Amino acid sequence: MEELKQEIKLLIMEVLGITDVEPDEVGNDDALFAEGNVMGLDSIDALEIVMALQEKYGVRIDDKNQSRFILKSITTISEFISKNRKN
Amino acid sequence: MNTLGFKHAMAAHCESGTVSSILSHAGLQISEPMVFGISGGIFFGYFESKKFPFPTFVVRNRPGQIRTNLAKRTGAKFAERRFGDPAKGERELNGLLARGVPVACQTDFFYMNYLPNHVRVHINVHFIIVVKRNGDNYIVSDCYSPSLSEIDRDSLMKARFAGGSFAPRGFLFYPKFLPGNIDYEKSIWKGIRSASFMMVKLPMPFLGVKGIRLFAKKVTDWPKLARDTEHLSHEIMKINIFLEDQGTGGAGFRFMYATFLREASELLNDPDLLGMSKRIMEIGDRWREISLFAARIGKRRDLGPDRLRELGSMIAARADEEEIFFRDLLALSKER
Repeated sequence: MEELKQEIKLLIMEVLGITDVEPDEVGNDDALFAEGNVMGLDSIDALEIVMALQEKYGVRIDDKNQSRFILKSITTISEFISKNRKN
Repeated sequence: MNTLGFKHAMAAHCESGTVSSILSHAGLQISEPMVFGISGGIFFGYFESKKFPFPTFVVRNRPGQIRTNLAKRTGAKFAERRFGDPAKGERELNGLLARGVPVACQTDFFYMNYLPNHVRVHINVHFIIVVKRNGDNYIVSDCYSPSLSEIDRDSLMKARFAGGSFAPRGFLFYPKFLPGNIDYEKSIWKGIRSASFMMVKLPMPFLGVKGIRLFAKKVTDWPKLARDTEHLSHEIMKINIFLEDQGTGGAGFRFMYATFLREASELLNDPDLLGMSKRIMEIGDRWREISLFAARIGKRRDLGPDRLRELGSMIAARADEEEIFFRDLLALSKER
């Protein structure tokens, strides 16, 4: 699971072009969309992350109400991926 | 908390979610996508009018039609009332709750103060289910909330009797008759035929796939209608909001429609419907690319003619795909 968490962090940074943050600076349980998060994410980034996760792991997150909970933190994303991944 | 056995469920869209929940509570187990699909909820319309400050578009049928079309096609019946007098509206609601009847209410979303402030905006067509009273407060099931919530009397009254367009006027409804046996085959195909017809056969140039095509053409002219770049950027970013953020289930209800077709395929043992479900899911994925593209160029204020032409061609490509899709779906419905 730790490996997957690291992979997800790197994927998010790559897709969003975040180059000024080290993966270790992002805590696995940090609220990704909270004010003050080191990556400074917004709702457009959320959509981009959803599409990247779909492409890499074959998981669908169609509904915004669902994505609110899945994209809460690196931990919640990794739990969702492990349960639902197709790739 | 005793909530009369009411089972709260989250849903993608407030109207289809509320209808699904209140029917399920009354004994008719029906999923949100099935409610949406049978009612022929999927649609497209592009509107430019002096009545609107800026062109706008819709991706579903009119508010209320999810309930009325579902009732017409399944035989379920709802008791419905609006009120000129708020005091009467409150008495009616309290009376029903006292009899243990959960009641769906139309509200102004802004007053749903159990939800985070940043999501609450004035929209008069938000539906919730009021489950019971709790002293001066009410226990409500709002499909955007992860659990049952509590709202104070004043906020609920303000929400039910807010003014403005689509004013709720205390509108409430609840099931009063459920058919013993629903002919799902008939209801599903009626819903499919009606939605497909609306998408490809309406003569008006602003409705259905013609509306998508008009949107594709007109979006390149939006700079002429906007006050300045800031305004244009705001309107372009609203494309993403309308497709993804307003309880659409993603991609302007296309994903929810795909789920409906998949469930219909399982229920009717019809593999053709599964194929159609996969096709509209893929079209939905490409609508989502439009959402992201619009959000990005809007955010970066990258709104030159080339970018808007690019956006227009992406939208035009969806029109072409949906035209083929809904023509095929209409043809399939005629074979059944």
